[in-house]
Amino acid sequence: MGELKQIRICGFGGQGVILAGTILGYAAINDGKWVSGSNAYGAQARGGSARSEVVISKEPIKFPHVIESDILIALSQSAYDEYIKNVAEEDTLVIYDDLMVNPHNLRGAKQIGVPATNTAIHELNRKQVANIIILGASVAITGIVSKQALVSSITENVEERFRELNLKALEIGYNLGEEIK
Amino acid sequence: MKFEEIASTLPPRTYYFSGNEAVAEGAIAANCRYYAGYPITPSSEIMERISIRFKDVNGVFMQMEDELASICSVIGAVWAGAKAMTATSGPGFSLMQEGIGYAALTETPLVIVNIQRAGPGTGQATRVASGDLMQAKWGSHGDYHIIALSPWSVQEMYDQTIEAFNLAEQYRVPVFIMGDEATGHLRERIEVKAKVKVFNRIKKLGAPPFGTDQVDGIPPMPAFGEGEKLLVTGSTHNEFGFRKTDDPLVHSKLVNRINNKILNNQERIIKTESYHLDDAEVIVVSYGFTARSSLYAMDELRKEGKKVGLLRLKTIWPFADRIIHQIGGKAKKIFVPEMNRGQIIGEIMKYAACEVIPYNQTDGEIIHPHQIIRELRYLLNNM
Amino acid sequence: MARDLEEYLRPEVKSTPFCPGCGHGTLMNLILRAIDELKVSMDEMLFVSGIGCAAWIPSPNFNADTLHTLHGRAIAFATGAKMFNPKLKVMVISGDGDLTSIGGNHLIHAARRNIDLTVICANNMIYGMTGGQVASTSPLGAISSTTMEGNIYRPFDLCKLVLGAGAPYVARYSVTQPLSLVGAIKKSLTTHGFTFIEVLSPCHTQFGRRNRYDSPSDMLKMLMENCVSKEQAEHLSKEELKDKIITGEFSDGGA
Repeated sequence: MGELKQIRICGFGGQGVILAGTILGYAAINDGKWVSGSNAYGAQARGGSARSEVVISKEPIKFPHVIESDILIALSQSAYDEYIKNVAEEDTLVIYDDLMVNPHNLRGAKQIGVPATNTAIHELNRKQVANIIILGASVAITGIVSKQALVSSITENVEERFRELNLKALEIGYNLGEEIK
Repeated sequence: MKFEEIASTLPPRTYYFSGNEAVAEGAIAANCRYYAGYPITPSSEIMERISIRFKDVNGVFMQMEDELASICSVIGAVWAGAKAMTATSGPGFSLMQEGIGYAALTETPLVIVNIQRAGPGTGQATRVASGDLMQAKWGSHGDYHIIALSPWSVQEMYDQTIEAFNLAEQYRVPVFIMGDEATGHLRERIEVKAKVKVFNRIKKLGAPPFGTDQVDGIPPMPAFGEGEKLLVTGSTHNEFGFRKTDDPLVHSKLVNRINNKILNNQERIIKTESYHLDDAEVIVVSYGFTARSSLYAMDELRKEGKKVGLLRLKTIWPFADRIIHQIGGKAKKIFVPEMNRGQIIGEIMKYAACEVIPYNQTDGEIIHPHQIIRELRYLLNNM
Repeated sequence: MARDLEEYLRPEVKSTPFCPGCGHGTLMNLILRAIDELKVSMDEMLFVSGIGCAAWIPSPNFNADTLHTLHGRAIAFATGAKMFNPKLKVMVISGDGDLTSIGGNHLIHAARRNIDLTVICANNMIYGMTGGQVASTSPLGAISSTTMEGNIYRPFDLCKLVLGAGAPYVARYSVTQPLSLVGAIKKSLTTHGFTFIEVLSPCHTQFGRRNRYDSPSDMLKMLMENCVSKEQAEHLSKEELKDKIITGEFSDGGA
């Protein structure tokens, strides 16, 4: 991976893919980096596919979308199947939700399963925070942003009544990532 | 000088805004205190943010019954002394055209943001295009001139919104920000500075508000309630606003002045950005989001030693005819990627002596850097 | 126009642009009379009008800020000016086609929002300036340049429309009822919120001549005979009310 990090988070609408991307972007801003973030989603608010892209760099970013993802975070099988086609063979790191995604056998790309939805259901009784768990794990594994920056980003961007839950999810996810890597 | 430095209402630091949020903040920074609009994808986040943030700055936000009402109430507020704007997308921009012509003829400074989506018709409401650029210049009936800017980043959505208000006030003209879905919904790091340079409306009580002997052709502009007993009309009028609808001299003088005040000042208005133009054999002329793809493509090809340059149009109207004429005399080819069926290329072909090659895409998707690299490679290999 | 109201007119204005027999000159007089009686300063006033004959009542005649706008959009322009500068006293004067047909949506929404405007709709029941085409206010059977065999559609009851949209003051009078009309204009200027007055103003040139009112005075006579107060109307049968125009205050500002 060079100076420029390209992250693609994907899943279906309602899984919090876009929020995860926004939180990651804010965290990188908190780290003093340059960031471009963009989203793609279907017309419906729930269901359908959702994709969030974040490009992080130490310098101003020329093209703001992901050209080749360095990190692919997949929260659903259909999204995984769609975007796995585009990962660069050698360098891409694939992080997937091990309950939602059955990974293909791939040469080259390193794939890591994270029990995000599973943990969200069993430890927090809220499957909605799987996005934050997998984000926390991904940050622990890759170091793309600092943990502190991620904590402030959640504090700034998540509505007050869900803040504590999300910070807890982040902590759990981060620890999962530390264990896995 | 009518420029003044004022403090930003937003604490100066880095932010992670979407393009649409940056437009709202840029407007507030430029002292915009009246907004009227009607919801339309993909621009609605602008009005949503304005509706919240205007509470901090004592602005007046109106969600109107349609886009016709939006543009007209903006004009009313401007004559009552406001700096004002509206934001919309294609179908709403079409509805606003009559008001745009009225604003041009009455020399009403205002800002319209068009977050372009894929048309025609309702088209693809959530998808990107830059198909409204000719409409921006020619959409209302009759001969008039406006200013249209084309931002390529979230930072520029903020900066150009401030600039749009300043240009509007300086030239007493409607100014458009021709954004697009990709830039409106893009989130990027932006810097908000502590001070903002704003142009304050020139007032000269007693002077005719619709005519001037000054060479710049821009009369001062009073407001309602100042005791000037203003006479504002969208019909042909003399310098004091009296209708003169059957006087050929008054009409031609007025129409010529409202066009020439822009055209005669175009060297001051037009902004472009040049990359490697000196030795370029192929020059990409690009604007808006597509210019980000063009920049990336040019850099990749430069790494291979290919003589590619880029001219980015930050101002679409008035058109940068002189610089196009200049580069068209030097480069072998000009390449024009556009998210439309070929709009600005027509202007380029008017002024460039060399071969001008179109690259058009109208599928609601951005033009990817790889597409431009592929096309440029083909061009370079066939020269 | 009476000499005592000349101070309310721009010095450059030497005559009205209206046809002989037109009611708009009378309406112009009555509006200024109401302003004069209320001692409202013309410096506080903003007059907004659309396109059409009635839009020329204030522009350029009135010696105040005047905004002559697009066809149908006067109320939208007025909304912007009033909302940004609430100190302005804003009066919209325009015709029935302008305010209620092409501009009908703005009318009902401004009434719904209760924007503090006075709207005076000069209803001549026809498109006068463009040559006498049928309007949304033309009576059933009316002959116009686009209904040579008679209008087949019902006219709008403008007062009911605006009342339904929630306006706190709604009235209808004819220029043949000058004293009531001056009273209504004064009341609308002193009532806070959206106030609406429909003024029946004859157009002899385009409406009268086609509809067998052979002279301007015939049209005035028709209005005088057909206008009944809402109190009188209560005692009339449906048959007796058939061609009548009911005048009066239909909502009095909650006073």
